[in-house]
Amino acid sequence: MSLKPDNIEALLTATALGGVSFRQTTDAKGVCSAWCTLASSSDLLATVALLKTLGARLSTMTVFQPKASPPPPAPKEGEAPPQPLTFFGGVIQDGKSYEIAYHFDLDGDTLTLIVHVASGGQVDSLTPLYRAADWPEREAMELYALVVRAHPNPQRLFLDPSIDNAAFERLIPYSTLTNAGVSKGFWEKIMATTGPKS
Amino acid sequence: MSENFTIPVGPLHVALEEPMYFRIEVHGETVSKVTINAGHVHRGVEYLITKRNVFQNIVLTERICSLCSNSHPQAFAMAIEQIAGLKIPPRAEYLRTIADEIKRIASHLFNVGILAHLVGFESLFMHVMEVRERMQDVKECTFGNRMDIGANTIGGVRYDIDDERISFIRQQLSSIEKEIDELITIYSTDNSILRRTKGVGVLSQQDALDCGVVGPVARAAGIHYDVRIKAPYAAYDRLDVAVHTFQDGDVWSRAMVRLYEARTAIDIIRQSLDSLPAGPTVATDERPPIPAGEAIAKCEAPRGELIYYVRMADSPKPERVKWRVPSFLNWDALGIMLDRAKISDIAIIVNSIDPCISCTER
Repeated sequence: MSLKPDNIEALLTATALGGVSFRQTTDAKGVCSAWCTLASSSDLLATVALLKTLGARLSTMTVFQPKASPPPPAPKEGEAPPQPLTFFGGVIQDGKSYEIAYHFDLDGDTLTLIVHVASGGQVDSLTPLYRAADWPEREAMELYALVVRAHPNPQRLFLDPSIDNAAFERLIPYSTLTNAGVSKGFWEKIMATTGPKS
Repeated sequence: MSENFTIPVGPLHVALEEPMYFRIEVHGETVSKVTINAGHVHRGVEYLITKRNVFQNIVLTERICSLCSNSHPQAFAMAIEQIAGLKIPPRAEYLRTIADEIKRIASHLFNVGILAHLVGFESLFMHVMEVRERMQDVKECTFGNRMDIGANTIGGVRYDIDDERISFIRQQLSSIEKEIDELITIYSTDNSILRRTKGVGVLSQQDALDCGVVGPVARAAGIHYDVRIKAPYAAYDRLDVAVHTFQDGDVWSRAMVRLYEARTAIDIIRQSLDSLPAGPTVATDERPPIPAGEAIAKCEAPRGELIYYVRMADSPKPERVKWRVPSFLNWDALGIMLDRAKISDIAIIVNSIDPCISCTER
């Protein structure tokens, strides 16, 4: 079993002129998950338009900032400094660049289309093509400092307008204060600050 | 009456247990525009989940929602199992299916019960809730809890049923089967229900496709999509699962899809009990190491397709977990359903998408 249509990888390659990296797996029950990374985020709209003609439904999107690659060993004298690690397509994996994954349903199978955008970068809005992209893109804009270009309704979705955007990148939630654990660590911090009762 | 008004509905409203605020512009008695203001129960669970390890997250994901609480840890576990290459034992696959369908019956009956309440048919509301209560009893006796049933773990399930428990479940199913058949007749023929629900809150098939709605909302608009069939998981690939669709896309169709699905869930539980294989309920007694990787998992929650994306890096804590609940897409379709609706129908239409707000906002 594989993703339908059978020639989907060829279609994606022919559409995304910057290049694609494609792989797919099928589980024991015949359900297929495919992953297609675009080398250039400027190929996004054309690729999504292709998926629309194939009857794909946009399930949702995921935005996150993959961790930075570990620092390379210092170069020996006379050697050129090592190149920083990059994602497919050349965006540097510095812990601040974004990985944006669009999850499409193709009659039960899932095709995840991935683009990488450097910190401070922009990505095109899919909302003109898929109404179902409206809310996920608005949510992405309030959680990250990512700019979604030409979104028809870039209003706040969940966070109050008085809160600055990029909450995932900026705010320190209560869960961080307490290390998302129960109160032991919290009280240890307090005890360390105030000292034991005399 | 031709004046324009803006009326607030919510954030706390009789149709919903949770807060959602609607700014509704009306022309006379007719709705002309709806603006949804969300975020009243935004809890940052997506952030929190990256601060806990995958085993702790089984507990956390179950608390994202109450009515589809079983679907979250199930989809999360499925994604982790894919990454770790874990194959859950056959008995666990059937037990996951049984837990899924027990929750589905209770969830669907709750929604159609609230519909009766909103229509003003209080005796029917109480009757539906009484029928549902028997599924709550099943949950309490089988899992020890009435809402968060703690059925799933990474690699299998945390509960098992013996012959005595199986016979109790069968007995409860027989008792509610007749009642649900009767409810289907009442909801199909009673004029107080039909007058308030037929042709109300219509979402056409094309609009449903455009909005990308899922679950009973999609199936009531003629879209033949059910994750249990399209992307089978647990034991659904070995069971006969009837998918119910209606063509009218109105409040009534959505209620009928839920009633028929509750009826079908009884069949699915019986099939699962009939063919429940012997053997272990978990793939491993140890906590398996979870390597780096990423996976997608989907399941059919009572409200429709629930999709999880999990990315693991070099830590027991996930690097990113994203999930999209069925309500997330269905909210947007409310704007279409409420267009030119009567003020008196607003609560009935909102209830008809079976909205879950804690799920939506996380």
